[in-house]
Amino acid sequence: MNQDPIESSPTLESLIQAIAQHRDKQAFVQLFNLMAGKLKFYAIRCGANEQDAEEIVQEALISVWHKASQFNPKTAAATTWLFRIVRNKRIDFVRKSRPDQIQSFDLFPDHGGEELEIDAESDLTAQFTRTLIEYLPDEQRQIVYQVYFEGKSHSEIASEMDLPLGTIKSRLRLALNKLDSLAKEHMSWLIIILLTTY
Amino acid sequence: MANHHPTDDLLIRHSAGQLPNALGIIVACHIEQCTQCQQKIAVYDQLGGELLVQNDELSPANLSVKADLLEDTLAKLDQPLPDEKTIQPVSDSAIPGPLRRFIPCKLSQIKWRGFAKGIKEISLGFSNGHYSAKLYKISPNKLLPVHTHKGNEFTFVMQGSFSDNAGCYRAGDFIQTDPSIIHQPKASDYQACICFAVTDAPLKFTGLFTRLLNPFLR
Ligand SMILES: [Zn+2]
Ligand SMILES: [Zn+2]
Repeated sequence: MNQDPIESSPTLESLIQAIAQHRDKQAFVQLFNLMAGKLKFYAIRCGANEQDAEEIVQEALISVWHKASQFNPKTAAATTWLFRIVRNKRIDFVRKSRPDQIQSFDLFPDHGGEELEIDAESDLTAQFTRTLIEYLPDEQRQIVYQVYFEGKSHSEIASEMDLPLGTIKSRLRLALNKLDSLAKEHMSWLIIILLTTY
Repeated sequence: MANHHPTDDLLIRHSAGQLPNALGIIVACHIEQCTQCQQKIAVYDQLGGELLVQNDELSPANLSVKADLLEDTLAKLDQPLPDEKTIQPVSDSAIPGPLRRFIPCKLSQIKWRGFAKGIKEISLGFSNGHYSAKLYKISPNKLLPVHTHKGNEFTFVMQGSFSDNAGCYRAGDFIQTDPSIIHQPKASDYQACICFAVTDAPLKFTGLFTRLLNPFLR
């Protein structure tokens, strides 16, 4: 199998920056080709139908075009930034033209540039998160997927997988604990993993 | 600095954008004030980003989009974005950011409704069938009836503080109670306690006195 396209050049990050700095439509086309399918898969996995999914993809990518200059690699990896955009578009899609309803900006307010710098090298952290997900045992990873993409509660996952609720809870907790240690012991973990796997 | 936080389960579902409305808002209220949870959310968002770009074996690596989507999108790039924010919130820093749009006045100007001495409330517009969202104002020193809960109750302390047998909760704290908990909250004596509460089932009161009160508490 080929390498993950994100890994080969140009990177998602460099495409976003090219859009921000030069309003580069060619970079946008590359970004579209790189991400549209993945974004669509995300929307569909979250429950959208074919047509709605493509609309969400389009809106998210148009948003990337307009907001590219707000992308700050110091506060978030490019993938994180894109995830926030498509998540918010998905949330708002069903409430279009209903400003009286809760919108994504109520749930995830912009902190106006005061965003937490979780790490000076967020790209390294992203790599670390990726490694971490890969290292999660299948069963834990599946549960994480179901939470993120299908919005399943513990009990729904339990009945679908035909497993006791307690098992689901403890598997997710195991996965989360690993991620927690990422937050707490950021740098040292990062170094250990990078040294041992790269 | 908050001492009581949402569970990791709630935080990760919030990051995933998968919490029901009212629940999402109350978790967002806490996150706004809690750097510890902000940090966790940043990591969970990162996880979301990685899941988004990863080719997991459950999926076709890439779904194709319809042939003219790119062209259609390019054509829309130069159109101005519609203004997203159409309701301007009242700016009152005493109201948590995520709630501001839904409280049409300053915190001090809320027209509270009373149903019992010392407890006042208002319903928030985004309650829905399953979740009810309310603000409560509890007079200083007021001892609430002993009660348990039929479902889950999520409370965010906006102002003042209260305590029960399990602890003391101050502004910024997030408390989750479930049917296994019987408690008797008491507001602190120096200031009225204002809480934002989201419940997924009515409170169930125990004891004689509260049986009288119960119908008013829905
Ligand atoms: Zn917290
Ligand atoms: Zn209670």
